[in-house]
Amino acid sequence: MDLSVLGAAAALVLTPAVLATMLAFAVAGLVVGAIPGLTATLGVALLVPATLTLDPVPALAGLMTLAATAIFAGDLPGALLRIPGTPASAAYVDAAHALSRQGQAGRALGLGLLCAALGGVAGALALLTLAPVLARLALCLSTVEVFWLALLGLSAAALVARAHPLKGAVSLLVGLALGCVGLDPVSGHPRLTGGLEALSGGVGVIPVMIGLFALPEVARGIGTRAAPRGLPGMAPGWGAAVARDLWRQRGRIAVGCGLGTVVGAVPGAGADIAAYLARAVTDHGGGGAARDPGDAEAAVIAPAGAANNAAIGGALVPATVVGIPGDSLTAVVIGAMTLHGLTPGPTVFLVQPERITAVVLAFLLANLMLVPVGLLAIRSARVVMRVPRAVLAPIILVVCLVGAYAVGGTPEAVVVMLAAGLLGIALEAAGLPLAPLVLGLVLGPTVEETLLVSLLKAGGDPAILVSRPGAVALATLTLGLWGAGLGMTARRHRRS
Amino acid sequence: MHQEPWRMPMRAGSWRRLWPAVVLAPVVMLVVILAAMPAAGGVRDARADGWPNRPVTLIVPSGAGGGTDQTGRLLAERLRARLGQPVVVVNRGQGGGVVGIGAIRDARPDGYTLGILYNFAHYTPLGQAAVEAEDFTAIAQYNADPAAVVVHRDSPWTDVGAALDAVKADPGGVTIACAGGCGGSWPVAIASLLRAWDVDPAAVRMIPSQGAAASLQDLAAGGVDMVPCSLPEARALMEAGVVRGLAVFGAERLPAFAAVPLLAEETGLTLDLGAWRGLVGPAGLPEAVTARLERAMADVVADPGFRAEMADRGFGVVWRDGAAFAAFLRQQQTTVRALLRDLGLTRADP
Repeated sequence: MDLSVLGAAAALVLTPAVLATMLAFAVAGLVVGAIPGLTATLGVALLVPATLTLDPVPALAGLMTLAATAIFAGDLPGALLRIPGTPASAAYVDAAHALSRQGQAGRALGLGLLCAALGGVAGALALLTLAPVLARLALCLSTVEVFWLALLGLSAAALVARAHPLKGAVSLLVGLALGCVGLDPVSGHPRLTGGLEALSGGVGVIPVMIGLFALPEVARGIGTRAAPRGLPGMAPGWGAAVARDLWRQRGRIAVGCGLGTVVGAVPGAGADIAAYLARAVTDHGGGGAARDPGDAEAAVIAPAGAANNAAIGGALVPATVVGIPGDSLTAVVIGAMTLHGLTPGPTVFLVQPERITAVVLAFLLANLMLVPVGLLAIRSARVVMRVPRAVLAPIILVVCLVGAYAVGGTPEAVVVMLAAGLLGIALEAAGLPLAPLVLGLVLGPTVEETLLVSLLKAGGDPAILVSRPGAVALATLTLGLWGAGLGMTARRHRRS
Repeated sequence: MHQEPWRMPMRAGSWRRLWPAVVLAPVVMLVVILAAMPAAGGVRDARADGWPNRPVTLIVPSGAGGGTDQTGRLLAERLRARLGQPVVVVNRGQGGGVVGIGAIRDARPDGYTLGILYNFAHYTPLGQAAVEAEDFTAIAQYNADPAAVVVHRDSPWTDVGAALDAVKADPGGVTIACAGGCGGSWPVAIASLLRAWDVDPAAVRMIPSQGAAASLQDLAAGGVDMVPCSLPEARALMEAGVVRGLAVFGAERLPAFAAVPLLAEETGLTLDLGAWRGLVGPAGLPEAVTARLERAMADVVADPGFRAEMADRGFGVVWRDGAAFAAFLRQQQTTVRALLRDLGLTRADP
């Protein structure tokens, strides 16, 4: 990175106009992200036309800010209402909500916020310094490698349910079964749709997620008097608790940042795989690490929250360098960049180095701006906690109904959400964890598609799965993870 | 005093008392919602005179950010200025477009629900949805992007003739990406080309993917041998020197890709195939509404600002009026379905 380019780029970003735009978009991002069903992708897509009158740098800086804040804001309903904003945040929504119920909502959200900011900064730094290297890596990945990576992510789901791997596996299988609904990813034949065209896109991850997590909470709200004043509020001094968590979980956060950036850069793998993998990899097991109450939850939030946001910076690497979007959010960002005359590709760094560097710098700055703006949002979110639970429960139900309709746009999405809610109530009553189900639903189609397509290329010969060096490495890693998991279970059985 | 059951603290046992409420509440809500929907639709004014006197919905059968979405939003902005009512873009990308195209087909033909239609002819023969050309009122076509043949930098093929000869020599040994589902615009184009070169397209390994970007990624990684897609889609990787464009379909070279030769120059075959997009409504749109929309569309497509924005994003502008577009839809349906039968992709002959 040429320093003079960096200086010129900084001069483009650090102007009152750009900073004011970023602040305005940060607030918009918080509102969009905090409403279940409105995703960061949708927010960026809706606001792209509004940026047409702006210069390219403030426009793109604003959109980057919107994306970064919207993803964090998805944690607010996650921690307070147990409605995860994104599939990735489903990896830690249970932990965050558990902390909130202990009166530590401030700690859960504050830790989530700082980990998100750290992860985002790590992703932005990687984008700034390692983009060409990471992009070359991403271009070496064929469907075979993505298959192993997705399988690795799926295996992580069973491992995160460490206390009861069997229950985790059952939940995962339910998710995989739900993932089969829709058009077959390879031949395109409708499958388990019951003849409904509205289901040909699958059951929809967001409606399922909203129903699955939030409706059991609503049911509890209807049936309880235990907490008539809603959540117990924020214990004072949560700032200190967050600072302590950040120090204790520093290793996990670092792993989350690194893993998130690399996995995010892989086209086809995204924030969701990154968050679950980070959680599984940093889960050293045993309660020994938990010195204070809530430490176990913090150990889940920290790595997954960091990986979630680091993956955005990672996904922007192949998007800006070779024009290949890693996920739907980066696809929209590519569209916006093209619109503002910055066609993503290798030449953009040669032809307009200041501008593209300015956009990356703005993304870095957006993640720093996230901290004060997010703290304000957390403070105002306390209003939610003062609402009695009996009042909150029907409000959550309405939010769920509207959210499911907003994202799916069909009445069937509302039905799917309600059915998923009943499923969630049943699974919780049976003591099954919900997070593996979401991962199965998200990754099942990816695993199926990449496996079948790889076999199709080789005319059905399974040897293709270990025909490339990257694939062999990832296969070894996956099988090693399985071996380690089995070994641990066996040891635990021998002990008991 | 006995405590009411709903005041009890939540315990495992309380599920037994609660489940009727838990089951009933969503069911009741659902019934209310479903009952309210046709009622809300019924009060709408379906008369054509005075159209449009409220916002018009434009269904885009793709996710936010894709080509159909981008061009749809450009259109919506300019139609709003010409119709005097907001044109609201609604993305329905689920199921590879099946959901959105079905929603256009099933909409009330009152001119308040329109949609963007693109290469649709494969949905019915592949058993994905029941969509016929007759299900739509064709208003105007505004876009077409010719297909191109793209290969890896290190590919042994230096021109499209050599590539086709190689496929002919060993059809089973070559993998061709579909840049989406195998039945969409790009695989239909490449299969037509193969057939013109006397290769049985059914013998070639056609590899489906989630779209052109995913197929190009696989091409760069060495996963497939050839990708048919539009040149703007491959621009970044071509500039990076990772992939090469061998030939582009259509009648003239694209100004932004002057170095990529025409298929006709290389092989003598003139095939005008690729992706196209147009504005449609459900079948039975009132005559007056269709005519008004067709005039507005003619105005938009002639607008230099619209043409410039389309060109900036790499989309080709092509104009077909309502009658020509309707004929085009029918002709597309016939040729694509015949081709899919040859490819062996058709589920069953109806």
